[in-house]
Amino acid sequence: MINLRDKGAEIWERANRPQRVLMAISFIAMAAALPFLGGTFLNTPIADYQSVLVYPIAMFVLMAIGLNIVIGKSGLLDLGYVAFFAIGAYTMGLLGTRTSLNTWEILPIGIAMAMFSGIILGVPALKLRGDYLAIITLGFGEIIRIVALNLEVLGRSGGIIGIPTPPPIFGIEYAFDSHRIYYWTLLIIILFAIWMVRRLSVRRAGRAWESIRQDEDAAELMGVPTFKYKVWAFVLGASVGGAAGVFYASKTLFIAPDNFTLQISILILACVVFGGMGNIWGVIAGAVILGYLPDRIRFLSDARLLVFGLVLVIMMNLRPDGLLPRKKREKALPNKEKP
Amino acid sequence: MSTSILSLRNVTMRFGGVTALNDVTFDVKEKEILGLIGPNGAGKTTVFNVITGVYQITSGSIEFQGKSLAGEKRYKITRSGIARTFQNIRLWGDMTALENVMTATDTHKRSGLVGGLFGSPISRREEKRDKKRAQELLDFIGIGEYGDRLAKNLPYGVQRRLEIARALGTEPKLILLDEPAAGFNPAEKVELAKVIRKIRDAGYTILLIEHDMSLVMKVSDRVVVLDFGQKIADNTPQKVQDDPRVIEAYLGVPEDAS
Repeated sequence: MINLRDKGAEIWERANRPQRVLMAISFIAMAAALPFLGGTFLNTPIADYQSVLVYPIAMFVLMAIGLNIVIGKSGLLDLGYVAFFAIGAYTMGLLGTRTSLNTWEILPIGIAMAMFSGIILGVPALKLRGDYLAIITLGFGEIIRIVALNLEVLGRSGGIIGIPTPPPIFGIEYAFDSHRIYYWTLLIIILFAIWMVRRLSVRRAGRAWESIRQDEDAAELMGVPTFKYKVWAFVLGASVGGAAGVFYASKTLFIAPDNFTLQISILILACVVFGGMGNIWGVIAGAVILGYLPDRIRFLSDARLLVFGLVLVIMMNLRPDGLLPRKKREKALPNKEKP
Repeated sequence: MSTSILSLRNVTMRFGGVTALNDVTFDVKEKEILGLIGPNGAGKTTVFNVITGVYQITSGSIEFQGKSLAGEKRYKITRSGIARTFQNIRLWGDMTALENVMTATDTHKRSGLVGGLFGSPISRREEKRDKKRAQELLDFIGIGEYGDRLAKNLPYGVQRRLEIARALGTEPKLILLDEPAAGFNPAEKVELAKVIRKIRDAGYTILLIEHDMSLVMKVSDRVVVLDFGQKIADNTPQKVQDDPRVIEAYLGVPEDAS
């Protein structure tokens, strides 16, 4: 099977700067134009197409990018990623309903809260490896949900209602039913997250994560402060999840513990694995497909999840490394003759 | 006589009931090539592991440039100037050769993750400098043309050399080579001997574990022999070869000898 990832990378590497800018702009334009394609075959029966674009698709993409830092880049299996999403959402819910702070002011607070809990979880948990780390993070995800279920101030099982929508910014109104606006805002946040990950990947942090993923002991013995970089991976992953959470709460106006179950963690993990661990474009593709598919085939009603599961199983058999796997190809040798 | 850079004093390492190293004492002197030999299971790799902090010694002391290494974190030991290679190659296979070396050169960067994210001037300068340095090291070891290849796709001999280049990337003063010639043919061994001498001439101190006697005897200034975790000889290559205890350790003694 042709390797789409390598093909894409090859085209990108051959392109000069203006061509690259052009490619990037056309990709962004295509993504931004998606809300207008509701009349085509892309339309989702039953569910509102534009709403599906915001949640799950764009939200999944954002979270998958965050989780990819932890799992794909650094090889740390985190099964409780939904916890950071929940922390962001509840920060928004709590501050949005009880203080006069608005969404844009709460966004950095929510991100900071998620990062802080990333440290709280990461410092003890990252001393463990592999399966043990997975179990601890799984527990953490459940703890956060159960805390929300039991704390009076967080509304218990009823959750928090009446969360305000974002106030207008640059004259753009965020009406609760204008899904396009939310989608485009999320797109900007996603672009920022992509910029962050790509930037880090080619520098010291990216190399440190990569070396940790492949052989942690060798990394440590070659002078990589592995623990520090593992915590960083956790914290950055958490920050993206937190941002997604804040925005989610501000969009749905209502949150409850039921929105933050283990299933979300597993789904986001599935997006990462399905798309291709470690490769940001693969992860995005995976999240788009896995976010979109269940709503696209909603007309199947009860058979929907069965088909969804089948697609996953078949795909993972055909492409065990994901849709667009991580870098396999080598750059052309510098001394190779050019035709 | 030049000064000692690393000194092991009465180092004992026990794993439960097994004594891997028993009261081992020796020095590595500045800018020398010290060979460390011994039959299988003599404790050679354990010596490397206790120096680099993989194991904490049961008793005794290890000092590097006058400072004790006891309880020091592994990456900090590397930062202080000790680098190693591995007996069974442990490169990062999915990274290119150049990236492998650059990860090691990151050890001494001042800029970290935040600087890299926002492209601070220090970060950019260091990135450029280290890329150049990494390529220099590949050239120095004689594998400069493989920089863009993924480590796992490199020929075996190149991988072994890349391990050395990566260790040099941490800018060590002392470099520990764990059987760098394992699996080499005679021609490759001759090449390797040249590389090892070249590294020493560039100002590094080398502690070398090697099974190939002719290679060890040829390149080493001094040889320490271990047997069952104990030091049984510490002398020039010539004298070690004639030492009856060393011969006994390697060949055994006839049963009727008294």
